[in-house]
Amino acid sequence: MSIHLPETQYLDPEVLQKIGDLELIAREVVQGLRAGSHRSNLRGFSTEFAHHRQYSPGDPIRAIDWRVFGRTERYFTKLYEAETNFDCHILIDASSSMAYASGKVSKLEYAKFLAASIAYMVLKQRDSVGLTVFDAEVRDSLPPRSSMNVILEIDRMLRIAEPRPKTAIAKQLHDIAMILKRRSFVVLISDLFADVDDVMAGLDHLKFAGHNVVVVQPLDAYELEFPFKGTWRFEGLEGEEPLTSEAERLKESYLAGLHKFLDEINTRCMGSHIDYTLTDTKRPLDAVLREIILKRENPGGTSTPSRS
Amino acid sequence: MSFLNPWFLLAGLGIALPILAHLLNRFQVQRTDWAAMRFLDRAVRVRSRQLKLRDILLLILRCLALLLLVFALARPAWKGDAASWIPGEKRAGVVIALDASFSMEEGEAGQKRFDRALKQAAVISGKIQPGDPVTLLLLGGKERLVSHNMAFDQGRWDALMQEVKATPATLEWDGVPKRLAELAEEMDASAKEIYIVTDTQQRDWKNLSPEFHAALKGVQSQARVFLVPVPGTAANLAVTNLELVSGTLRKGGVARYQATVRNCGTESVSNVDVRCRVEGTQIDSKKIPLIAAGASETVSLFVPFHNAGATRITAEISADTLEADNIRRTVAVVRDRVSVLCVDGSGGDAGRLITAALMARGDAAAMEESTVRSIPWLAFPAEDLSKSDVIVLADVPEVTEEQIAQLARFVREGNGLIWFAGDDVKAASWNKHATAGDNALLPGALGSVVSTSDAIGAGKPLDPAMPDHTVCQPLQSLAEDLLSETRFLKCLELKPASSSFTVLRLAGGDTPVLLEKSLGRGQVFQFSTTAQATWNNMALTPVFPMLMQQMVTYLAGREFERPQTVGDTLTLSFVEQPDASDAVFDSPSGETLTVPVREYRDQFVALMENADEAGFYLARVSVQSAAMPVAVNVDTRESDVACLSKEELTERFKGSDVIIAEDEVALAAAIDTTRTGRTSWRFFLLAALAFLLIECLLADRLMRRKGADAADPTMPAGDLGKQNA
Repeated sequence: MSIHLPETQYLDPEVLQKIGDLELIAREVVQGLRAGSHRSNLRGFSTEFAHHRQYSPGDPIRAIDWRVFGRTERYFTKLYEAETNFDCHILIDASSSMAYASGKVSKLEYAKFLAASIAYMVLKQRDSVGLTVFDAEVRDSLPPRSSMNVILEIDRMLRIAEPRPKTAIAKQLHDIAMILKRRSFVVLISDLFADVDDVMAGLDHLKFAGHNVVVVQPLDAYELEFPFKGTWRFEGLEGEEPLTSEAERLKESYLAGLHKFLDEINTRCMGSHIDYTLTDTKRPLDAVLREIILKRENPGGTSTPSRS
Repeated sequence: MSFLNPWFLLAGLGIALPILAHLLNRFQVQRTDWAAMRFLDRAVRVRSRQLKLRDILLLILRCLALLLLVFALARPAWKGDAASWIPGEKRAGVVIALDASFSMEEGEAGQKRFDRALKQAAVISGKIQPGDPVTLLLLGGKERLVSHNMAFDQGRWDALMQEVKATPATLEWDGVPKRLAELAEEMDASAKEIYIVTDTQQRDWKNLSPEFHAALKGVQSQARVFLVPVPGTAANLAVTNLELVSGTLRKGGVARYQATVRNCGTESVSNVDVRCRVEGTQIDSKKIPLIAAGASETVSLFVPFHNAGATRITAEISADTLEADNIRRTVAVVRDRVSVLCVDGSGGDAGRLITAALMARGDAAAMEESTVRSIPWLAFPAEDLSKSDVIVLADVPEVTEEQIAQLARFVREGNGLIWFAGDDVKAASWNKHATAGDNALLPGALGSVVSTSDAIGAGKPLDPAMPDHTVCQPLQSLAEDLLSETRFLKCLELKPASSSFTVLRLAGGDTPVLLEKSLGRGQVFQFSTTAQATWNNMALTPVFPMLMQQMVTYLAGREFERPQTVGDTLTLSFVEQPDASDAVFDSPSGETLTVPVREYRDQFVALMENADEAGFYLARVSVQSAAMPVAVNVDTRESDVACLSKEELTERFKGSDVIIAEDEVALAAAIDTTRTGRTSWRFFLLAALAFLLIECLLADRLMRRKGADAADPTMPAGDLGKQNA
């Protein structure tokens, strides 16, 4: 499919060029297509016929369409929509904490670019994508659609999304878990600056509901490194009480707390089979997307949060 | 408190820098929005008040360190007990005035006053800190600054003290306090001390002038004054005079010299041997049976002259505890003969009488020793004056201007002129040519002839009170009745010039009979009476021959024969410019000094200033020419070596702040007690460094203090988010 981009703000042609070969595939589909893989657990999955594909050794025998064989004396397998078509729900945290930027690009801006790129990737593989922008509550939502035009709508939503104080990640996750009827991809892009237990409860709710959950946690480089020196007054973006202190004295405890937080999230996501990717806002989008896709394909592989 | 480098205090303005930095830093708390507040440990929050207190503390430390450093560089100093709690070093600038006059040489070998003075100086120097300024002034004659504001160094000081010696000069104290005040003023020190090390001679210290006391008080406003007496015994004999009394300085002749010995001590001395040496050879000795305390006795020494030329004569006594004044020196220029030319304007009478007076001995030896020729005054123009040593003008009516010039030149060359009045003398002519101006030939202007007879027609006698003049000495030995036999009926009024000196006068008034003046290297005598017996009966009495012979002997002498005193300027003079441009003086110790010959008042002179050794100097116009000895003696005023007692000294300075230290122990104690001036720059420097170190350590600690010290060690770091929410 050739890249024909409408005029959008958050789709970078260079990035899209680099991720042109990537496909966001449901893990269950991936598992089913693997040669010699584990028994598929497609039971209960929708089986609407989509199209035929020439038989390849290793394809399940029961998937062979014998009628086509009778007519053509060649083997073709049936592909069902349920195996290839999924809904992707991209959730963007637009709370104030996402507005932090040490450079030109805030976490929210980065998340927008990331969301747009994921949306494009999903649409390109003719799947449906929807977008929900939330903070303490859902501010804007677009149900999944598969038309390429939906990218314009997504872009519009991203453009008007402004950070607002307070966030309620866990509540949004629970709500979405309640809303979704069919198994979907849920991509959460958030800094996850909330209670870990609450966040994991929400994510687990989605996971246990059978959805594929991907968590991308963009953090600013300063949040990851804490390079401050001297006396600083830190003013919370979500209404926290400011703190004036000497940065050198804060650094060690801050980094310890942050790493512990990140490690906990990573560990619990792994335990819940949730793909988790930590990135900083300086990292190229294509590299992040590749990491996300790679984790989809190698769930037992690298899962260490990327900390620069 | 004072500062030795007060300009450094300006650097204290630099204290504005840390204050400025503090003020600027107050507004430099940076701010930022922050999303990850949950991970910041609020326990390490620094409140603004903490920041203020921290900054103020560091500011105070920095300012203190800077101020202390500025103080240290400005070198603060204290006097007295002020701020005694601040540690410091006792330092002072020291001026040592060491009496080096020849009285300090009194004493046994190794225990002379000067030796003890050097020991006291060693005590003083032992208390001086390295680097402190020290000045050493040697008093006596021309003062010598051995060291001037020298930064004290023991080795260098010891080397200087090795060269310090007493001089044969005297010491006048009046100007000393003022000089000490000047030296103290020049000294850059917070505390100053002046040490006067002297033998406190009675002649100087018993009756100090009010000016001295006032000046000393002025010195005390600048410095602590220490008087360090090094007294000695009062016993001392000194040869105070040696002079030609009578006789002739002619080869083959004998001259009578008189030596005077004074007993400066407090007890009589008996059997004092006085020895006379000529060119080092003893030719006579006399014994003085007894010299009472404080009294002087004279002895006559007869000196035969076997050779012509300059002859060195000394009179010595046995060595006592002060040797410098045990010898007296003089020089006699012995001639083969003395030629006297008498220019007679009286028709022959004057010439006969003068010849007879000069040839009074009447023997063949006397004929050989001198020649006296008498010529009429009209024959004077044709006379070669270079053949004569003394010219006598007796009743010469007048001479031409050229003849006056000729006579003046004659005298300037070192010869003598004797002028007699007379009936034929034309006063106006003489006044016109010979009495006008400072370089006039005659000592006095001529007036009119006046009678000096009394009512009964007897003339006036000579005034028995005579000056201490070589010419008068024989007359002083005459009995008064013999002296009074000489009567003067008439005299020519003479108005002495300012440069003249009245040698003889008539009794009962100021009428001069004999005037003298120096002209160049010679002298001129001028009588207000005649040589012949028309105005007086002098020729008929012993006075005339004694006077004439003494005058001729005196006039025939040279300047070299007149002894000089230590400190005097030795002079060589020439009528015409000598061949050499420099004169050479050899000192008694063998040192050769070259001085240039300069023109001065129609003469050419070479001056050697400040003859600082006692002995015979040799003076010559060039290295090749024959040397003339010049006798230099000590000034025997210094021979009175009696010193003030301890009680007298204390009484003299009662009520003043002068500290009197009698011995080495007392001196050391006095220095320790009174030296309270301290400098504390090291203390302030160390304090500044300490404060700087504290400031650095404190700043570092405040900056780098770990949050874990302030946080609860039992709470996991992840719960910080909950804690801080």
